[in-house]
Amino acid sequence: MRILIVEDDSALGSGLVRILQAEGYAVDLMPRGEQAVLAAERERFDLVILDVGLPGIDGFEVLRRLREGAQRMPVLVLTARDTVDDRVHGLDLGADDYMAKPFAMPELAARVRALIRRSQAQTGPRVVHGPLMLDTVARRAYLRGAPLDLAAREWAVLEVLLARVERIVSKESIIQAVASWGDELSPNAIEVYVSRLRSKLEPAGIRIRTVRGFGYMLEEHAESQ
Amino acid sequence: MIVPGRQRSLRALLLRLLLPPVALTLAIGTYAAYRVAADPGTEAYDQSLLNTALALGERIRAQDGRVAFDLPNVAERIARSDKYDEIFYIVRGPTGELIAGDASVPPPPAGALPEDGVTAYDGTYEGKPVRVVSVLVPCGGQTCSVSMAETTIKRQRLAREILASSVLPQALLAVFALALVWFGVARGLRPLQDLSREIGARSPRDLRPLDAGKSPAEARPLVDSINHLLGEVTEAHRNQQRFLANAAHQLRTPLAGLQAHAELALAQPMPDACRVEIVQVHGASVRTARLANQLLALARVEAGIRAESDGSRADLRQVVEGAADEWVHRALERDIDLGFELEDVSVSGDALLLREALANLVHNALEYTPAGGRVTVRMSNSAAHARVEVEDDGPGIAPGERSRVLERFYRAPGTSGTGSGLGLAIVREIAAAHGAKIEIGEGEGGRGCRVMLLFPAGVN
Repeated sequence: MRILIVEDDSALGSGLVRILQAEGYAVDLMPRGEQAVLAAERERFDLVILDVGLPGIDGFEVLRRLREGAQRMPVLVLTARDTVDDRVHGLDLGADDYMAKPFAMPELAARVRALIRRSQAQTGPRVVHGPLMLDTVARRAYLRGAPLDLAAREWAVLEVLLARVERIVSKESIIQAVASWGDELSPNAIEVYVSRLRSKLEPAGIRIRTVRGFGYMLEEHAESQ
Repeated sequence: MIVPGRQRSLRALLLRLLLPPVALTLAIGTYAAYRVAADPGTEAYDQSLLNTALALGERIRAQDGRVAFDLPNVAERIARSDKYDEIFYIVRGPTGELIAGDASVPPPPAGALPEDGVTAYDGTYEGKPVRVVSVLVPCGGQTCSVSMAETTIKRQRLAREILASSVLPQALLAVFALALVWFGVARGLRPLQDLSREIGARSPRDLRPLDAGKSPAEARPLVDSINHLLGEVTEAHRNQQRFLANAAHQLRTPLAGLQAHAELALAQPMPDACRVEIVQVHGASVRTARLANQLLALARVEAGIRAESDGSRADLRQVVEGAADEWVHRALERDIDLGFELEDVSVSGDALLLREALANLVHNALEYTPAGGRVTVRMSNSAAHARVEVEDDGPGIAPGERSRVLERFYRAPGTSGTGSGLGLAIVREIAAAHGAKIEIGEGEGGRGCRVMLLFPAGVN
């Protein structure tokens, strides 16, 4: 896994490099946007961490040029500005996630893992979460190598949660993702599916946390850290 | 109403300038009309008197140096009869002696020169004003005179009619002109009143230029100056926003670096004495970052202007959902159960500032609630309010402290945690900027703390 960091502040940049190296990624650091665009054209990166406030062309411009050049790797935007406009602008340009400075390193690491996992799920047939493995082509699930029986809607709910590990997911957004199967779903139905998933996954140490009045969060599995 | 009290009134000024020429015009017009119409009228009446006098003059006879006047009673009645006036006459002999008639008829004024033997003049008869026409007539080679006096009833009547028919319209015209000034000023200044009402009704955040097309041409310089000023204020606000954005960037980036390196250091094996110090450095960097955020938020509320977001609505549910992930992780770190009871609530205002306000309330609740506690973010709509509250089951805030905790840098005695004392002050300022009330009370069952924001109910 190779990550490109575009950050002009040397202290923050070197800190990010070391943290992500400690996570086992290959990391390149570039302080200027123009360099980063060139590098992304020549070499393949699995993820870009992009600061907005750069000298020369800013992060938004870098993002625009990357997407123009049909670069589809996930981009995590870092910003120190605090306007909603910035965030919306970044997401409009095709950023995949957004973090405001300063941030806690474990959270950054979790976001990076989630983004890489999500992009793999989109490009590859397999999603791995600790002892759980989903074969999205054959639509089969395996837990510790053994086939796991999942109903269609349980599968759908699990897919939504797996796409956003360690991030809270509202019941409404689960309903939206699952409702394409047909009839309308009530929030109660989602609770039923989640409780079935829990009884199947918890014995293997995979935990789905309830966020009261909001939704759920699939917790990071100790083995995937 | 337009210009109050002692200030200079445009209306009074215009009236003062207009009144003398109008009055003068009225006076001259009246005099001229009277002269033009009354003189011919008076001459006609005089002519009628003269005819009678000449007729009476033919009744004078001169015999043997004696002058006699002989008028039958019937003729005298005819001569003296008139529909309106009393008529008197006198016949004087060559030396001015009374020959016949009424001695009370006034003689011609001394030095009056007869024209073709006729003198017309005004006088009094037994205290009544009369018009007299006196004519010289020959009597036996000498000259006698006949004077006819007539009271002035029909002449006055004529004068009144002339006045009524010519002066009244002129007077009405003058009154109309003055009324025009009085109401015209109010009418003419109405666009200015509309303008001042428009400016008065604006929120301080609304810095859009005024519509110059709605104002009369005379008010254009005023509108243009106001727009120029609004433009400069907008530019100043933009500069301030730019400065704040830059300051935020300049502060947060190195703080993020500091925090990253402290966390990296803590991940290394090191002597415990060292670790204690690095933990302090890390804690200080986190607090400094938080403080920087708060000060920036405060500066932004005080700037109080986001002209571009004026009138926009903020969806509070979206605001909460957008920030919930960060809050939940913070709660999990502290082993606190953070829950939500959300409804679709939207208020008029700035989503970013509202998010900052709610984040402060949630951070406070998470800061002061012990591990294992419970914090709930709740929102609801009622007829009167859109309501957002954060409730915890921590130690709560003593009733006596509740108003003081809203002050800047105030921290209640015995407070644990590492807050700056700015959080609730920021909430208060943001609430005030949105017309919201802030209420602090107990949580459910009289335990903990509940901070409520009551926004004026809007259209949802």
